[in-house]
Amino acid sequence: MTAVPFSLRRVWLIACVTALEAARQRVFHLVLVLAMGLVLGAHAFREFNFGASELKFMADFGFGALTVFGSVLTIVATAQLFFGELEHRTALTLLAKPVWRAEFILGKIGGVMAVVTVFCALVTLLLLGTLYFRQQTLLAEHPELSESARALDPMAIIAVGVAHWLKFGVLAALTLLIASFARTSLYAVIVGFVMLLICHLHPLARLASARTDSWLLRGVAGMVSLIFPDFQLFDLSASIDSVGAAGAASLIRLVAYAGLYFSVLGSLAVYSFNRREL
Amino acid sequence: MNGVAAIEARGLTKDFSFGLRGVNIRAVDQLSLRIEVGQIFGLLGPNGSGKSTTIKMALGLLESTQGSCRIFGVPSCEVRARCQVGYLPESPHFHRFLSGRELVAFYGRLCGLRGEELRRRVDEVIAGVGLEAAAGRRVGTYSRGMLQRIGVAQAIVHDPRLVILDEPMAGIDPVGVAEITALIQQLKARGKTIVLVAHELTQVEALCDRIAILDRGRLVVERDLGAEFTALEVSQLSAEHVAELQAWLEARGGVLTTRRVVRSRLEEFFSPRIPATRETPSP
Ligand SMILES: Nc1ncnc2c1ncn2[C@@H]1O[C@H](COP(=O)(O)OP(=O)(O)OP(=O)(O)O)[C@@H](O)[C@H]1O
Ligand SMILES: [Mg+2]
Repeated sequence: MTAVPFSLRRVWLIACVTALEAARQRVFHLVLVLAMGLVLGAHAFREFNFGASELKFMADFGFGALTVFGSVLTIVATAQLFFGELEHRTALTLLAKPVWRAEFILGKIGGVMAVVTVFCALVTLLLLGTLYFRQQTLLAEHPELSESARALDPMAIIAVGVAHWLKFGVLAALTLLIASFARTSLYAVIVGFVMLLICHLHPLARLASARTDSWLLRGVAGMVSLIFPDFQLFDLSASIDSVGAAGAASLIRLVAYAGLYFSVLGSLAVYSFNRREL
Repeated sequence: MNGVAAIEARGLTKDFSFGLRGVNIRAVDQLSLRIEVGQIFGLLGPNGSGKSTTIKMALGLLESTQGSCRIFGVPSCEVRARCQVGYLPESPHFHRFLSGRELVAFYGRLCGLRGEELRRRVDEVIAGVGLEAAAGRRVGTYSRGMLQRIGVAQAIVHDPRLVILDEPMAGIDPVGVAEITALIQQLKARGKTIVLVAHELTQVEALCDRIAILDRGRLVVERDLGAEFTALEVSQLSAEHVAELQAWLEARGGVLTTRRVVRSRLEEFFSPRIPATRETPSP
């Protein structure tokens, strides 16, 4: 019998089945409806706007919804789809075929990312549409506002959406790494959320390390910054007014940063899953 | 026996440990077994005796604590060992949102089938398990017996040389049992090796060339069924014909050794070797 080379075709097949399964999960529909509802209703929340231009506020609000619901979707879908396959023992039938475990893991991430892509695209496009519609209304009502109202660049909105998508990719790989050794889906979900929190705490870690004399605290802060990806970097909303050359460069840097973490976390997930008993 | 065996296990042992104190369960204990190519091999034993665990180790789904296993000479842990194997797990579950046909095609594609060949094989195996009428329906709507049938179909879609069926008849109606029995016999006629795990001794008797009985992870019996059980069908004769048959046999130098019902023979042979207790001893 000849060796079985790693096959992207099998990864694709597993990803398609996973995406199909994910798209039918109620959590996906619920999260999508909630996020889109918030984007559509952003206008109604402008009471909470403390000074930013209205369109900027609506964009921030929409991306807030994308971050929160996108993170929930990524963590829950990754854990559920992975454990669904183990608990229902479909993984047994699948891995009894000539399939590498790496293909299985990549297929799972691929399936999750397909759903997350649809989610990010729908929410970002809806936000773009809402902003455009509001911009036209504002321009008609207050011609004197035109200068600041025109400042929102559609490319910048899309770039922020892409940055969120990259972050969810890293988060999916991180959750899958946890799931690859976790015993239950609940454990993977809880640890996933803790990790998400830690990944957002980089500025705090830097601050702590600058202000303290304790080598222990510095060591811990250093470890956190090294091991965990910094999710604050993915927040491009500061450049939302105009993407420009600087925005494009930072997006390229983000792609490289996310790609690096995605590869390392994904490889660790494969390594850990290779040892797992089914 | 020469040549490469379909499955060859040497000193295969599996310990499961669980709980905070690491309680050990020895599920399979020093199992050495050789399954020849072209046989229908029955793996028997009471619940919890280690049959499914043995199969999972053979397929590389579980890592053995000790010992080794090879499939057609290739170590079980290698992916290429699974190219020539079809497997039906016990109480199988499948992706619920696919139709029966899509599911079988999915597994066929994973095994490298495509195009016209894939279509032909999918149609063939779906017909083989008698699921043509339900093939377009979602697997989530299937009854237990239908799941079992689609499970057999996915196991043989890539025409493997070795087919491992873990309780394929569980939950299947009598017509289905007859169909799957016929399917297994067809596979054997085409030179395939079949490993059959079953609790129904009559089915094992009807199908298997050789059996192994496990108890608490240990091999307690391994023997051919062929020689001893070729006359089984004769026992279905009515009493008056038995006398005729006896005369016919004796005229040709044959001997009618027993008149008992075949069904109870394997059971008699099986039960004394399996103690009533079901506890698995710690290693
Ligand atoms: N994943 C596991 N973790 C812990 N113990 C296990 C695991 N899988 C099996 N066992 C134990 O190993 C032993 C053998 O189980 P196995 O499933 O191989 O039995 P079996 O012969 O297939 O039984 P059945 O006829 O009921 O299917 C049992 O005691 C079982 O509890
Ligand atoms: Mg079993």
